[in-house]
Amino acid sequence: MSAPDRKVMLELRDVSLSFQTSKGTFDHGVHHVLDQVSFKLYENETLGIIGRNGVGKTTMLRIMAEILAPTGGEIVKRPGKTASLLTIGLGHKLDLSGRDNAMLSAMLQGATKSEALAYLEQIKAFSELGDSFEEPVKTYSAGMKSRLGFTTALLTHVDILLVDEILSVGDAEFRKKAEKAMKERMAGDQTVVFVSHSDAQVKSLCDRAIWIDQGKICAQGDPEEVIAEYRASMRK
Amino acid sequence: MTPRQYFSLIDVQARMLLKADASKFKLGILWWFLEPLMWVSVFFVVFNLILDSGKKSGDFILFLTCGKFAFIWFSKTVIQASGSIVASQGLVGKINMPKSLWPMAAIQESLYRQSSVYLLLFLILIMFGQYPGFAWLWMIPIFLVMYLMIVACGLVGSCLVCIVRDFQKLIPLGMTFLLFTSGIFWDVRDIGSPEKTELLLTMNPLAFMIDAHRQVLMNDTAPDTLHLMAIALGSGAIIVLSIKFMRNKSKYLALKVLT
Repeated sequence: MSAPDRKVMLELRDVSLSFQTSKGTFDHGVHHVLDQVSFKLYENETLGIIGRNGVGKTTMLRIMAEILAPTGGEIVKRPGKTASLLTIGLGHKLDLSGRDNAMLSAMLQGATKSEALAYLEQIKAFSELGDSFEEPVKTYSAGMKSRLGFTTALLTHVDILLVDEILSVGDAEFRKKAEKAMKERMAGDQTVVFVSHSDAQVKSLCDRAIWIDQGKICAQGDPEEVIAEYRASMRK
Repeated sequence: MTPRQYFSLIDVQARMLLKADASKFKLGILWWFLEPLMWVSVFFVVFNLILDSGKKSGDFILFLTCGKFAFIWFSKTVIQASGSIVASQGLVGKINMPKSLWPMAAIQESLYRQSSVYLLLFLILIMFGQYPGFAWLWMIPIFLVMYLMIVACGLVGSCLVCIVRDFQKLIPLGMTFLLFTSGIFWDVRDIGSPEKTELLLTMNPLAFMIDAHRQVLMNDTAPDTLHLMAIALGSGAIIVLSIKFMRNKSKYLALKVLT
């Protein structure tokens, strides 16, 4: 499968995450999201993660992005490497214009003020929002919002890009453009972890896939095989 | 994240919050001034016209204005900052940021707003014949210590709300308690027993700060410098401790916000 000489970017070792949901202090209030998950992420690869809703995919990304800490096990990242989530519409403020929102999102993703200012025209052009870019986001349609969100998200520059269901944005025309931009990103030197519900996307974009269910890894390996197994389990 | 990036992000967020807030209402930024003025009017009607049959002098308006303008800054900001991390739940789940960013942005927003509100306060004082003297320079340290106190309470409040959501109910209640115990519409120096006044000023730093505003602006008297320094030091210590806590427990706070 993965050649042993490839460099490991990130490794999860027996990672578990559980938290208290109910107010009680007894164990029945404890919710186990991830249960001893272990895998390695190699340099330059695109790893797909599939599974039903609520099985811990997003939580796994959050642990990799160091937003959450695992309650058990450990996560080992290659020193000096950064990982962050690529997310649409980073806290859009509806009363602010597209430009102001883009500025805020860019800065929240780590750009300095002058870098963010420099990105703005690029964002305006790619998102094709035209004059609406200066209008408050509350006047935007859902499609326009995701155009703005996707374009600003594309600015994230990190060593490990964690993508959570992003390619379902805007109208058909823009979706094509977005997919193309993402593919270019993934095909390059970028290491990517990609959560998706689209079999076609995982097959075409990912080098390897992991199927998780109920907080555990059920299968990993070649995307075609893993997806076939996953689909077969759903037919049962 | 470098300190420079941190502060510029706080600054930009605060400006954006102000912009968003101003664009939401027809009267826009006029509300910055209208709201405290309306509060003063309400208090004047209740405590002078209704309860005291209008016997209090024009000074009472200045007395109320000093107290209420300072109090609103404290109470609104601390409430806003306390709820700020929880309110940014969406962002907390997506990016790994110092959690103090959100309360600090809320505090910064109100700092910008409050600077103009204090100008209005000075204008009102001058209109009522209280002309600025050298003693007014004391407002600089008083303003700074007020700010430190707000940062301290805002940071602690935001952690408490993250850990136990119920604090979001308790904090406004606490503010009402402070409204009654900090001498906004009555004078701490009129309680009758000097020991009680002393006790109140020691126990409730906000009462001391509000009294200091009046001493400086209305009586041209310097505040108790040692007391002021003690509050500054105390607030500073709380700020350092809460920033440390927020840094070490960043992921714990995120988990608490998200679940």
